[in-house]
Amino acid sequence: MGNPRDVVIVDGTRTPFTKAGTSLGEVHPADLGQVALKELLNRTELDVDLIDEVIIGNTGSPSDAVNISRVVALRSGIPLKTSAYTVHRNCASALESISSGYEKIKSGTMDVVIAGGTESMTQMPLLHTQRFQQIFSEFAFAKTMGKRLSALKKLKLKDLKPRISVMEGLTDPFVGVNMGQTAETLAKEFHLTREAQDEFAALSHNKAVAAQKNGNLAAEITPVFLPPNFKKIVEQDVGPRDGQTAEKLAKLKPYFDRKYGSITVGNACPLTDGAAMVLLMSREKAESLGYKPMATIRSYAFAGLEPERMGLGPAYATPIALKRAGLEFKDMGLIELNEAFAAQVMACEIAMASDEFCKTKLGLSGAMGEIDPSILNVNGGAIALGHPVGATGTRLVLTLMKEMQRRETQFGLATLCIGGGQGGAMILEREA
Amino acid sequence: MSDIKDAIRIVDKGEICLVEWDLPGEKVNKLSSPVMERLRDVVDELAESSYKAAIFVSRKEKIYIAGADIEEIQKLNTKEAYMNAVTQAHEILNTLEDLPMLTVAAINGACLGGGCEFALACDYRLGSDDKSTKIGLPEVQLGIIPGFGGCIRLPKLVGLAASLDIILAGKSVNAKKAKKIGLISEAVPKELLEQRAIDFVTEKIARGGKKPSKTFEAKSMMDGFLNSFMGRSVVFKQARKTVLKQSKGFYPAPIKAIEVVQKTYGSSNRERCVLVEAESFCDVALTDVSGHLVNLFFALEDVKKQTGVKDKNIKAKNVDYMAVLGAGVMGGGIAYQGAAKGVDVRMKDITTDAIAKGLKAARDILGKKLKRRRISKFELANVMNRISGGTDYSGFKHQDVVIEAIVEDMNIKKAVIKETAEHCKADCIIATNTSSLSVNEMAKAHPHPENFVGMHFFNPVDKMPLVEVIRGEHTSDEATATIFALSKKMGKTPVVVKDGPGFLVNRLLLPLLSEALFLLEEGCDIVKVDRFYTHQFGMPMGPFRLMDEVGLDTCIKVLKIFRESLGERIEISKLSEKLSSTDRLGCKNRKGFYLYDERGKQLEVDQSVYAELGLPTPQHKLSSKECVERGMLQMINEASRALYEDRIVETPQEVDVAMIMGTGFPPFRGGLLKYADNLGIEYIIQELEEYSTKLGIRFKPAQSLLQLKSFYK
Repeated sequence: MGNPRDVVIVDGTRTPFTKAGTSLGEVHPADLGQVALKELLNRTELDVDLIDEVIIGNTGSPSDAVNISRVVALRSGIPLKTSAYTVHRNCASALESISSGYEKIKSGTMDVVIAGGTESMTQMPLLHTQRFQQIFSEFAFAKTMGKRLSALKKLKLKDLKPRISVMEGLTDPFVGVNMGQTAETLAKEFHLTREAQDEFAALSHNKAVAAQKNGNLAAEITPVFLPPNFKKIVEQDVGPRDGQTAEKLAKLKPYFDRKYGSITVGNACPLTDGAAMVLLMSREKAESLGYKPMATIRSYAFAGLEPERMGLGPAYATPIALKRAGLEFKDMGLIELNEAFAAQVMACEIAMASDEFCKTKLGLSGAMGEIDPSILNVNGGAIALGHPVGATGTRLVLTLMKEMQRRETQFGLATLCIGGGQGGAMILEREA
Repeated sequence: MSDIKDAIRIVDKGEICLVEWDLPGEKVNKLSSPVMERLRDVVDELAESSYKAAIFVSRKEKIYIAGADIEEIQKLNTKEAYMNAVTQAHEILNTLEDLPMLTVAAINGACLGGGCEFALACDYRLGSDDKSTKIGLPEVQLGIIPGFGGCIRLPKLVGLAASLDIILAGKSVNAKKAKKIGLISEAVPKELLEQRAIDFVTEKIARGGKKPSKTFEAKSMMDGFLNSFMGRSVVFKQARKTVLKQSKGFYPAPIKAIEVVQKTYGSSNRERCVLVEAESFCDVALTDVSGHLVNLFFALEDVKKQTGVKDKNIKAKNVDYMAVLGAGVMGGGIAYQGAAKGVDVRMKDITTDAIAKGLKAARDILGKKLKRRRISKFELANVMNRISGGTDYSGFKHQDVVIEAIVEDMNIKKAVIKETAEHCKADCIIATNTSSLSVNEMAKAHPHPENFVGMHFFNPVDKMPLVEVIRGEHTSDEATATIFALSKKMGKTPVVVKDGPGFLVNRLLLPLLSEALFLLEEGCDIVKVDRFYTHQFGMPMGPFRLMDEVGLDTCIKVLKIFRESLGERIEISKLSEKLSSTDRLGCKNRKGFYLYDERGKQLEVDQSVYAELGLPTPQHKLSSKECVERGMLQMINEASRALYEDRIVETPQEVDVAMIMGTGFPPFRGGLLKYADNLGIEYIIQELEEYSTKLGIRFKPAQSLLQLKSFYK
């Protein structure tokens, strides 16, 4: 069975996801990626000479590792001859890395591709204002003391106020709204109460804590040993809170719209550091090397929508991916729908179950269908685990694939919303 | 048939010429007597030519001139022969220096010893900034001093401080440093070196082509003072102090070098200076110390050429992936040593905490190097990135070698070896880093015992150069050769030994440690005994300090194993039982015969140890000779058994290399068995017999020793 050019996922692993500024804050994103990739190479015992390409998603573009994919590859012991490039599709960068690898393998161009993502939202830098840069370069190039002084004189206190790159990155440059505000918009338009959102968030924590306890998350995580003293070993995601309840979450103040809003830091995903990697191969290659892959990639899709409603991205991308796979929504036995915001996930659920939305907005003949809560984000989602933007896409696929193996689910969907107004979706079929 | 004329060729380039060094049939250029004769002819030919400049280049890949032919030096053994060789060389280099034309050494690759002295006799030196370029005077490492004018020309060129730095430590410098101290005029990219030398000398010719004055000009006030008449005495005094501290007075060459520089620095009478150097050279070249150091040099060169097996057709397998089982300090050290030499290392242990300890051990070694600027932060990261760890066997399928460094317990080791073999490819070699357990017994657990071998590192792994490659009964040639080659790849000196209690080094060392306990029992003072061994004999550590280092519990445990396997002749002091009942473990719990601070630095002797062992305050009555000989003679006695009765190794040279590299046995003594030969076997037997009657059967001369005239033929 199966086509020799099917694209299969052999295995994958990730670092723990930790809230920005906590345990992994001091680790460079290239080193986060290195830990995950090195471990993947060990787990799969792959002959590194066979790797055709390394594709890694990242949005922060650290200035000391601009093509971070190449840095991660070389630091992981992948040969010099092997090419590597970085992809950026905002929150879906690490889904883009997989879809790029998929295309290369499907077309017959390549056979073995490493795909993944890495992000340190802690290390996204503070920037100087444009005006400060001008004054600084004037000062630096001034030949006389007088000119230097006159350059300095132009400097005002407000010029020293830094631009916070992580915040700028989370603000839509087309419509000028923050990601949190796009979630506020959806909450209002879809009439999502604060209570319902907090319920959803608490459930995400409860599921994640359960998955920590039963080892489901440990199965996909590789520990990070912290240099230089190695006194601390990060072995678990730091986000999930044992005993989280909607009541506790209700105490938080709305963050983006303090007066009329319902989005809090408790029902949104936190800024996060982490990396995730998967090994992609053509079916024929995997078979010839004796690997037993975990899943086949059946299809993927990206779709665009209004930036200010970017949270609905999954509703837009999913039907396209389904069509490409020749499958129905009801075939999906397991769904990972990224939890950027509780409101955004709930809005997607409503939209996908709505005849009207699906007809008018998506041009479908009717509703896609309701999502059975028992198959959605069963090991918790980004609200609890975190969302390192450049790594999440791979994490969704990894978590989905491992859970499909455990549950023996035939088809699964990984989908997420993308800042800037897009959605991404990927459909997997379990390999038995 | 190669012609010695090809060793140095003059190539006409118009008004200047290139002189190419290219010794036929050799990978390196070296200064043997035929080459020196050829150099004399070349210099004479240049003297008669009309060239305005000569540029000396090497046609060897990474060698300019590696130095004098040491094999030839070794064969000279009279003062006349040495004097003759040195005087000839001086004549030739003086003629070179006096040539009317400009002379330039365009140096790419190693330019050492006589090679450096040749370059110093040229008017100018340019160096390539290639990694292979090293300029220096390593003579003192062989127990001699620079004898081709190096003691005179280097200080004249770069000043006292910089030159003594190089001469006394036998150091070499890279192009960047050489440029900084003024040893070369320019550091040039390798590819441009020759053209740059031509342009350089052409410019000089255009400006009149006058020979430069080579006298050092101080660039700073401090340098000015140090080279002034008054400053010099400070420099020499300090240099003597440093040398004596480092050599403990056992090595005459650096002191001699200081003498020569002191007598010649600032003098313009070249003939006299040269004579002073030549006389002193002969003095040190004739010492036993030099003879021993030269022998050691060749013994180590031998190891480099060896493969660890007799059959020359056996090829060692390439090792790109290596796993280490047990990630403690030892495992971490082994991981570091592999990763630093480009091997990908996977550590496995039971807990992530244990792996963290191994990673820390490796990182600490690198951290020290980073602090001393031996490596950059990028190099540090690259080495650490090669090391990963896990608690399961993931990654083991592609390991070429697995080194086992877990707890010293036969049953656990056997279980782990069996389990490991199941997770590895069939031809993966498993090596045990045991220090005291039987390799043959352990091999029984391996389904393919031919792929099982011992690889015994010494602690601390990054500093101790020896690896004992323990070849078991069933170990294959290929496995032996692979571990031998891997040891060399990891920068270590391997010696192949047979299985047996303590293998070679620990077997010989243990009688010394054991004897120290008897000495203590007889009322000896710990500090005094240790000082006899270090300051009078030249060991890096005395026996008590060494026991602390090894671990007192380990010492006693191994002693018992020895008694079980080697029999009654292994006598154990009754102090050992008392010692086991205390909480003293040595360095590892910072409490042994000595005390240690939190960072493991040795403090004074713990005076309470005497009382705790039921001993009175020591009334040290034994002579230093007796204290040292009681240990050393037992070692020699045991060595004759290991060598001739149990055939642990094949040759006395292997014993000596192993003891020097594994225990720091003083190199100037040439090794344990060279020392024995110097004492005389007859004397040794006589002393052993006396001690044997007086103190016990542990001194009884071995049958093999009684039949011996000398260890070396």
